[in-house]
Amino acid sequence: MSGYADIVEKIKHQFPDAIVFEQNTCDEFPTLWVNKENIVGVLGFLKKDSALRFSQLYDLSAIDEQARNNRHGQPESKFTIVYLLLSYSRNQFIRIKVGLNASKASIPSVTPVWSSANWYEREVYDMFGVNFEGHPNLRRILMPGYWQGHPLQKAHPARATEMGQFKMPEEQMLEQQDILQFKPEEWGLKSHSKNNEDFMFLNLGPQHPGTHGILRLILQMDGEDIVNIVPDIGFHHRGAEKMGERQSWHTYIPYTDRVEYLSGVMNNLPYVMTVEKMGGIEVPDRAKVIRIMLCELFRISSHLVWYGTFAQDLGMMTPVFLTFYDRERLFTIIEAICGDRMHPNWFRIGGVAQDLPEGWETLVADFVKYFPPRLKEYDKMVMKNQIFKARTIGIGVFNTEEAIDWGVTGIGLRATGLEWDFRKKQPYSGYDQFDFEIPVAANGDCYDRAKLHVEEMRQSIRIVEQCLKNMPAGPYKSTNSLTTPPDKKHTMYDIETLINHFVNVTWGPVLPAGEGFCSVEASKGNNGYYLVSDGSTTSYRTRIRTPSFPHIQFVPQYSTGYTIADLMAILGSVDFVLSDIDR
Amino acid sequence: MKWWTTRANDPINTMNGIGSMQEAVQQSVVLTTMDSMVNWGRKNSIWPFNFGLSCCYVEMATSITSKYDVSRFGAEVIRGTPREADMMIVAGTVFIKMAPIIRKLYEQMMAPRWVIAMGACASSGGMYDIYSVVQGVDKFMPVDVYVPGCPPRPDAFLEGIVMLRDKVGQEKRPLSWVIGPQGIIKPEMPSMKEEKRAERAKMTEIRPPDHI
Repeated sequence: MSGYADIVEKIKHQFPDAIVFEQNTCDEFPTLWVNKENIVGVLGFLKKDSALRFSQLYDLSAIDEQARNNRHGQPESKFTIVYLLLSYSRNQFIRIKVGLNASKASIPSVTPVWSSANWYEREVYDMFGVNFEGHPNLRRILMPGYWQGHPLQKAHPARATEMGQFKMPEEQMLEQQDILQFKPEEWGLKSHSKNNEDFMFLNLGPQHPGTHGILRLILQMDGEDIVNIVPDIGFHHRGAEKMGERQSWHTYIPYTDRVEYLSGVMNNLPYVMTVEKMGGIEVPDRAKVIRIMLCELFRISSHLVWYGTFAQDLGMMTPVFLTFYDRERLFTIIEAICGDRMHPNWFRIGGVAQDLPEGWETLVADFVKYFPPRLKEYDKMVMKNQIFKARTIGIGVFNTEEAIDWGVTGIGLRATGLEWDFRKKQPYSGYDQFDFEIPVAANGDCYDRAKLHVEEMRQSIRIVEQCLKNMPAGPYKSTNSLTTPPDKKHTMYDIETLINHFVNVTWGPVLPAGEGFCSVEASKGNNGYYLVSDGSTTSYRTRIRTPSFPHIQFVPQYSTGYTIADLMAILGSVDFVLSDIDR
Repeated sequence: MKWWTTRANDPINTMNGIGSMQEAVQQSVVLTTMDSMVNWGRKNSIWPFNFGLSCCYVEMATSITSKYDVSRFGAEVIRGTPREADMMIVAGTVFIKMAPIIRKLYEQMMAPRWVIAMGACASSGGMYDIYSVVQGVDKFMPVDVYVPGCPPRPDAFLEGIVMLRDKVGQEKRPLSWVIGPQGIIKPEMPSMKEEKRAERAKMTEIRPPDHI
């Protein structure tokens, strides 16, 4: 990554008093505090300047600073809005922060700069109560409409058990169901077409087999054709971010498993990597390779679920039985290594939970041999199937520019022709030592996205094979006292070690105050964790940047004009899971 | 009329029997009570509702596929609408925003209907004691079988189905709305934790995770 002196200079030249503070962070991303008046100007400039081209709004979130102790000279603020931008031409992130002091916090909306800011700002409004001036439709997004308070404010209770017994009498149930009633005028949608014909408003979900979970899409239909789509999310909101504020650094790991529940340990990785960055923890080589192997196995597992269900969405019954059978074979390996199937909770800060079991090589070698011929068979069955092709080629098309503007990452982005994979561009956990390719397509349609999923499985199996052949010897976990209790034999001779052991086991480790971000190329796109430590045993703010959230926001943009049957193909090809949208 | 039943693998000429009337009656007439017959039908064809909330749903779907094959227990006819289904599997976390919808879907199912709470979240809130999660689906609707796990393995889910089948087989529902006691008489569902304690206690050696 290149330096950022030139960025600061350029901003200062254009907006002389915009930058109020330059912050140092553990992730070494340039972090600039900008005043509220200039924020839209600065972000617009960063996006459009030809030398900078921070063209993607990678993430937008907020921090409630009202209970914070260690600010390290950061400007006073009650709420801090955090923008994370990514420049594809510079291969660089930049973080822009704005401090808001008023008791009723308000900030200009950046929706004129990035269309994708729409949902992110709604989320910040919903979770923190910050008002965005000029936002086209600022309303709750994750919490139900009747909710009182803003959950991620420090004053809001975290536990359900703190909030009294849950009750749902008949009238309350009906009332809540009424709130869910869709009113087209609230969304600026007309009930009649130009010819004064009625549009039909169709609820797809939250209970619908085609939406792969509890996603609700409201379709405005003109006969068979989709005129507009309004996604309604939040049915799967599990408060994973608030949970981070009460779990110790170690005990939060199981919760990360359940964000994007198809990829198991791959979710642990960005979290533990961020903590390692913040605590200055070195991970031994063996642990790194074990992590990569498990991540790639889970990528295959997740793609297999996608393969079967996508084919089923398009009317094929057989593939789902075959791919799920292969997934079971994969789970035999995962179970032998981690002891669980879907949520192994197996990565640890500084390494992994335990060493690989004796005999793991045979299991993995068997699978490496078994799997590629199966993929060939599926190619014949699915990818070369005429009906499959007819239903996916030329359906749901978007280009690179739109994809970047709407925050699309992962396969969606690569299907448009941009060769961008974090495993290559900003290698983490030792991916630079592996030999693999990034599959890229050109048309950006459903078929291309499907093709890339299949190709990625081939590349993953290549990586797994390399892990198998070159597994380094050595420890599987760092000896850093933040991560691993000291050896029992030392504690018997040395009171310091004993204290260390006791504190780490009872309270959990204390990470130095600071903040960091780490993201990985997960199976659905880029998954990242932004953690703020206030020098205590829990995180002060945990922000999870998930790929499916912007992906679903983008769906209406390129799905209009098609029929519902095509929408099923589009939703399938986007490959999302609900926990990855709502967290 | 002469006919007899044969086994699938028997060569055709090993048919036995003489084809008498007595034999035919023995082979084709079953004497039972109406209750048992209806229950037998019910328990062998429980139609599940295709309904999933989160992670558990993936394991539930896995139980339908080849390795586990829920059709062995007669529960493979997945229905997309609650009006055609007998059994609702609450597979996953019960979110506050989703609660009125779950309730409505439950009410749309026609009696007799049964509910399995699959996984820790649906049973009790599980790991998620958090503002947006209802601490167990039994807070607003009845549950027949609880399956623990996070998520439960497909095997565990199948055991839940088998237990529900047994329960359905023992239920007494009045077939007349005029004569006899009204209302459903449900069998008692014991706590498996207690039932299996002795069996668990027998396990003295636990395989270490160091080899496969």
